[in-house]
Amino acid sequence: MNRVIAPEINLIDSLALPNVEKLNLDNGVPVYLLNNGEQEVVKVEWMFMAGKWFEEKNLIADFASRMLREGTSSHTERQIADLFDFYGANFNNGAGFETAGASLYCLNKHVDHLLPLVADIFTDSIFPENELATIISNRKQRLAVDLKKNDFLANRKFVDVLFGQKHPYGRITEVEQFDTISSADLKSFFSKYYNASNLTLIVSGKFDDSLVKKLNQNFGSTSWLREKAAENITHTIESSSNLVHHTDKPDSVQSAVMVGNLSINKSHPDFQKLSVLNTVFGGYFGSRLMSNIREEKGYTYGIHSSFVSYPHSGFIEISSEVGTDVREATLKEIQFEINRLRTEPIGAEELGVVKNYISGKILRSIDGPMKFSETLKGLLIYHQDLDYIQEFLKTVREVTSEELLELANKYLDYDKMYKVTVG
Amino acid sequence: MIKFEEFVLKNGLKVIVHEDPATTMAVVNILYKVGSRDEEVKQTGFAHLFEHFMFEGSVNIPEFDTPLQNAGGENNAFTSNDITNYYNILPANNLETAFWLESDRMLSLAFEDESLSTQKNVVMEEFKEHYINQPYGDVWHKMCALAYKVHPYQWPVIGLNLQHIEQVQMQSAKDFFFKYYRPNNAVLVVGGNVKAQEVKVLAEKWFGEIPSGEKIVRNFPKEPAQNEERILEVKADVPVNALYKAYKMCARMDEDFHASDLLRDILSTGDSSRLYQQLVKEKKLFSSISAYSTETIDAGLLMIEGRLSKDVSMEVAEKAVEEVLAEMVNKKVSEEELTKVKNKIEAFVTFGEVNVLNRVMNLAYFDMLGNLNDVNKEIEKYAAVTSDKLQQAATKIFRKENSNTIRYFSNN
Repeated sequence: MNRVIAPEINLIDSLALPNVEKLNLDNGVPVYLLNNGEQEVVKVEWMFMAGKWFEEKNLIADFASRMLREGTSSHTERQIADLFDFYGANFNNGAGFETAGASLYCLNKHVDHLLPLVADIFTDSIFPENELATIISNRKQRLAVDLKKNDFLANRKFVDVLFGQKHPYGRITEVEQFDTISSADLKSFFSKYYNASNLTLIVSGKFDDSLVKKLNQNFGSTSWLREKAAENITHTIESSSNLVHHTDKPDSVQSAVMVGNLSINKSHPDFQKLSVLNTVFGGYFGSRLMSNIREEKGYTYGIHSSFVSYPHSGFIEISSEVGTDVREATLKEIQFEINRLRTEPIGAEELGVVKNYISGKILRSIDGPMKFSETLKGLLIYHQDLDYIQEFLKTVREVTSEELLELANKYLDYDKMYKVTVG
Repeated sequence: MIKFEEFVLKNGLKVIVHEDPATTMAVVNILYKVGSRDEEVKQTGFAHLFEHFMFEGSVNIPEFDTPLQNAGGENNAFTSNDITNYYNILPANNLETAFWLESDRMLSLAFEDESLSTQKNVVMEEFKEHYINQPYGDVWHKMCALAYKVHPYQWPVIGLNLQHIEQVQMQSAKDFFFKYYRPNNAVLVVGGNVKAQEVKVLAEKWFGEIPSGEKIVRNFPKEPAQNEERILEVKADVPVNALYKAYKMCARMDEDFHASDLLRDILSTGDSSRLYQQLVKEKKLFSSISAYSTETIDAGLLMIEGRLSKDVSMEVAEKAVEEVLAEMVNKKVSEEELTKVKNKIEAFVTFGEVNVLNRVMNLAYFDMLGNLNDVNKEIEKYAAVTSDKLQQAATKIFRKENSNTIRYFSNN
């Protein structure tokens, strides 16, 4: 046996997508069903158009979702906690930029006990003042700790210089802002956005038809319909005019480094090809940034780049934490790697590895109902369907070095990037 | 319920196969029975540094990651006090690539000086990122040293200090490898869309000829029973006071483990748990508080850590924690609360089995612990715990002279 020679590799050139059934509850709420699990468990995800994009004041979307387990007219915070815990369930509530809501993870045998509680939460939360005060004071303590972390500070600065304070993607939280949140603000946001007209459901795991019936009983009422969230809300981007921002922290042994600028998002036709370029650049363990700055130079434990996509905008972000003495050297290497992508076509071998790696990643993204439900959620936010995944695989297989060279010149320009460092 | 088959190669390599036709992926996991407890006092952090070195090329293959990525795969590894675990997940029809790569790095490494020196730098940056440049980053170092006086759990997996990592020489890497990275000290688990017969053939083909190593005899000192309350006060540039309390608890394989672990659930799993309800919600003394256990092969720790609310004194906060613990000792847990934590465990274990990678890692872990069949007995073992047993465990654990406390003060 010759151990030097690698075994033959089978390429991934097609995907068998798992079955997704789509139906509507009696009030029209769309439900996506991913029913191919092996274990007797189910995950139900409620997505309301109630993210940060829709808030008129900082922290309102965040707190409206955070406070969902803090009390309804008929259940106290303690009773809600007891019920979820007694049935061994996890109820993860939170807000993103576009959607907010919760995921319920539970054993099938307990779901009947839990859906009415979730329905109560989403229709009748009361945002008690005393619970709000506790959460605000705890969040202030957490922020105080986060403000001691260089990576946290760099990230705040970075989104601020990209988007500015008038835009939800750039808005950062100062300690005093917590005191401006009132229960009345939260109630009004909740009643405007948490309703059937703004809701999409994704159900995954192993379940039978009776679950759909129960969802209908709990969430299908037409009396829960309200006005849909406005689609024409816009926010002003105010990018900084200064590209370089350094915050000095003399006691630090490492500096947090963030480099990047505004760019396209997932809805743009170049995005899939750009994902291939980004993977070569800094998107996986074998990327150029990792090979050069971690594996050759040993400057850092990790360095990554990504084209971050949000529904209304996107940006490229390169981030790392490096020894303070090699901060400038790291920036030089980032510049060097960008220029190399702009001037030399990526070699066939390297591109081949990246194509195969991404193909494997696509395969993993649809493997198992819960993983697949996350992937599906990512598509729904952009109004994309499952064809997007098939197209992505096709794009990855077909994209050429010449196209990527062109894209590098179009989307990667070190001179136009913001450089934020803390430490 | 995780199904499996098992066999042992002539060189002592244990092989476990878990067939799951529902996935398109295959997982190849190797657990080496070596961790930071096997390190020399003067060379702490070595097992973890060595884990990095395992990716720097083997005797016939210049680099580990690229061929695996080329096969559509992804991989990673972690080191703990007791074990070092490597996993690969890739499309099932490229399974053999993982066998080729993993077997070659078990056969022998490239042992290149330059890559050792780079990985030393990378690990030192990891050390800085997680343990120095981080508020409260040094607390685990301090707690290990407080709780363990002679056992190697007295240093954390990352190592005692940067110098230990900086001073590592190639000879140590070679000695370590040929002692611990031998087939008789490893468990190979292959799972996913694979067939046991196919795995058998591949295991013989790629691993069958790798020579065995010496039998490993561990003789590090046993930690003597703790008989005095230990307290350490720290002042540092952190914004919020924090309290850490670690109690000695039994080893993972001890028959008391499941009762002790349920204590942790009662204290801290979910929003209805006692620490959260009483100290965060009712008394508002802490802004966050949680408990966890280290689950180590030798006697471990049940650790409680909390950050104090503004303007709350350390004394008041600590007394309140002790009261919650005393209640576990003085009063039996109600049937309802016991059922609650058992339901939580059942859901946790079942959800843990959704993912094929988790199932495979569990198989490796339970085999390492000594009884593979235990992998499917966890729910049953937790279910058998009574409120009497819980009270006994609490009485044994939550004693002042069994406690190690760090009062971490903000100097602002």
